[in-house]
Amino acid sequence: MPFDLHFIVRLIPALLQGAEITVALAVLTVVICLVWGLLVALAQSRGGVLSWIAGGYIQAVRNTPLLIQLYIIYFGFAMAGFPLSGFLSGLLALCIQNGGYVAEIYRGGLQSVSQRQYEAGRALGMRRWTLYTVVIMPQVVARVIPPMTNQAISIIKDTSQVAAIAVMEMMKVAEVWVESSANTYDVFLGVALIYLVLTSVAGLIGKVAERQLAFAQ
Amino acid sequence: MMKTFAPLLHSYWYLFRGAGMTLLMAAASVVPATLLGGALALVHVFGRRTARSALQVYLFVVRGIPLLVLLTFVYYLLPLTGIDLPPFWGVVVVMSLYYAAFMSEVFRAGIESLPQAQWDAARSLGMQRHLLLRIIIFPQALRLAAPPFVSLCANLVKATSLVSIVGLWELTMASREVVERTLAPFQIFLGAALIYFCICYTMALYGRFLERRSLVGH
Repeated sequence: MPFDLHFIVRLIPALLQGAEITVALAVLTVVICLVWGLLVALAQSRGGVLSWIAGGYIQAVRNTPLLIQLYIIYFGFAMAGFPLSGFLSGLLALCIQNGGYVAEIYRGGLQSVSQRQYEAGRALGMRRWTLYTVVIMPQVVARVIPPMTNQAISIIKDTSQVAAIAVMEMMKVAEVWVESSANTYDVFLGVALIYLVLTSVAGLIGKVAERQLAFAQ
Repeated sequence: MMKTFAPLLHSYWYLFRGAGMTLLMAAASVVPATLLGGALALVHVFGRRTARSALQVYLFVVRGIPLLVLLTFVYYLLPLTGIDLPPFWGVVVVMSLYYAAFMSEVFRAGIESLPQAQWDAARSLGMQRHLLLRIIIFPQALRLAAPPFVSLCANLVKATSLVSIVGLWELTMASREVVERTLAPFQIFLGAALIYFCICYTMALYGRFLERRSLVGH
């Protein structure tokens, strides 16, 4: 029976427990990717062998499905003799894939800063580190926030794929509950609503950050 | 080296057949998604306020819910409702509805990024609305929308891998079957990744080509 209140009362805590894992995965992925993606983007902007490797990495991860990367990491590591937990494999795959996307976003941001800003900084005798931390990066960060917000939303949605390697995040919890109760409507309505709340919160955080950093534009 | 990758060399034909199914599924979804996306973009640009708010709700829902949730929902739902739809077409319907939302955004951005002067100039020449749209707005908007459209299509190809979770047979499912037989997950999934890469990277290159070409006119 759809909309069975007794069922929903038992369902919600279970889904929220799954949502905790979903949020943990998403937040860790976003934080790691913000750093990792920047390193990749800077490596790519430097030229030389490193830039070639960074470019290859970006193309490789962006043009293959997350699910396949997940399987390669989860089953590949197990075969190689040091098995990773489902959560760790999921986190690693999410970071590897989204690192490529985040690096592209940073690249766009770095390119949007006018060449004159670099020249002016150097003319003032700034060291590379000062130039980047004081002049370039504040502008880049302010500009990349809207696309980063979209990427964060897409990361939240991507975490559902980790269900494929039996991590008990929200999607997997939902599957288990549907299988055991056949109460398809309630379970999926609940899951959809929680995902909508999570992605909306991410969108709101992005909007606030955008407003806070508007001065750096 | 040869010995390590022997399982892949033995089963590459099976994977290719899976890739064929992936492409078929993607092609079957892209066509309705594009048509619906185009229609939704027109609603967004020219529609009445009620239609536009309804569209906003649709976009909000689709952008906030993972495709996998919708695919799994339909997988469990179809037997319950008694709709006699083969799983393949169920997947195609979900993928089309899902990607139509993103397509509509791409087309809308194409139309809205044209400068107002294009509209004004055409109107001042006395063009009727449908003529204006047909020979001034749409050709330019489509040209602008082409590169993101192609990358969205590549995205859709990657997203078809999700249907393996609900039990449909395509490249990802085929590689999982081979892995179960050969116990060589690393090699087989790497092979599958390579096939996906060839498909999607070709599309990405084509998208980049279109982007460079569309910059020429500006």
